[in-house]
Amino acid sequence: MKCRRCRKAVAAVDLPSHNSAFCPDCFFLFFRRQVQEGIRKFRLLSPEDRVLVCVSGGKDSLVLWDVLIELGYRTEGLHIDLGIDGYSERSREKVAAYASSRGKEPIVADLRAEGIPIPEASRRVRREECALCGAVKRYFFNRVAAERGFTAVATGHNLDDEAARLLGNLLHWDGEHLSRQHPLLPEVEGGLVRKVKPLWRVSEIETAAYGFLKGIDYVTEECPFSIDATSLVYKEALSLIEEKMPGTRRVFYQGFLDADLWKRGAPAGPAPGTCGKCGAPTYTETCGFCRLKEQVTRAGGRG
Amino acid sequence: MEVPGPKRVADILAAAGVRPTTVIVTRGRQLLTKDQRVEDGETIEVLSVVSGG
Repeated sequence: MKCRRCRKAVAAVDLPSHNSAFCPDCFFLFFRRQVQEGIRKFRLLSPEDRVLVCVSGGKDSLVLWDVLIELGYRTEGLHIDLGIDGYSERSREKVAAYASSRGKEPIVADLRAEGIPIPEASRRVRREECALCGAVKRYFFNRVAAERGFTAVATGHNLDDEAARLLGNLLHWDGEHLSRQHPLLPEVEGGLVRKVKPLWRVSEIETAAYGFLKGIDYVTEECPFSIDATSLVYKEALSLIEEKMPGTRRVFYQGFLDADLWKRGAPAGPAPGTCGKCGAPTYTETCGFCRLKEQVTRAGGRG
Repeated sequence: MEVPGPKRVADILAAAGVRPTTVIVTRGRQLLTKDQRVEDGETIEVLSVVSGG
């Protein structure tokens, strides 16, 4: 199969969803353009932004960091070390190695140092690991952005992630989550930084191909707590449809955004207050992060 | 797993019961499209691209 763009080189990536196939050089061009278009369409970022890229060590986040650097954005990487034995060490190493290859040093938030490694915190407060992980990550996005003057936080969610989430939210008619499922969550006065998903137009197979062809060394193992993630069920269902009808996933999510369905039921949220303990934005007296730390400490004392 | 060659990548994936939209296939530093032929004795790697969470 020849590259459909240059018509000279052998194709390395075939994309039935775009009815196309690209050689490595043309694929890089295609991929960057897709990300650029995703940013442009919803004005996710401007050249003046200081962008905090959340990097787990997996393919999507490292590819996101790479492509934003290539596109000329001012970026730094934030890695949250979750304190999961083995997996977290390997993830952190991949992030450090990639950052070093680009002459950078990642900002690291270490949950062991904070006294709340996810597995232990989960056991002590009897809450699911993934719920704690999400809450802790959101806390650090805002905290690090505020402390260091970042104007936007970027995460590596791709088209497959967003389409799977959309399917799940629709199946449960979850209006609250649907209303927030957009590649752009604007800044909220009071300390909630703008959050963006610049990879929303590219599929998982495209980020994996980009990462491989660019020689980005990422963690291939999955987080041990994500094995039973419901998102995997939705991804599998969409994969089956995508295989029979290429491009459906893109039409599904893009159609949702174009129809402005995400705006429905979106409450105009009030500005958050300030946590009495750490100063983080919160809608309660003490923020969720500080409450979690207290709960873990108390549970540890009882244990 | 071993499959007698030559075979197209798509046929190898089908034989292995792997959905082609969920993986990339590599041969050394080369990325293979699903129509490419793999000769007898060659080794390819099938990498899942699906991440959870």
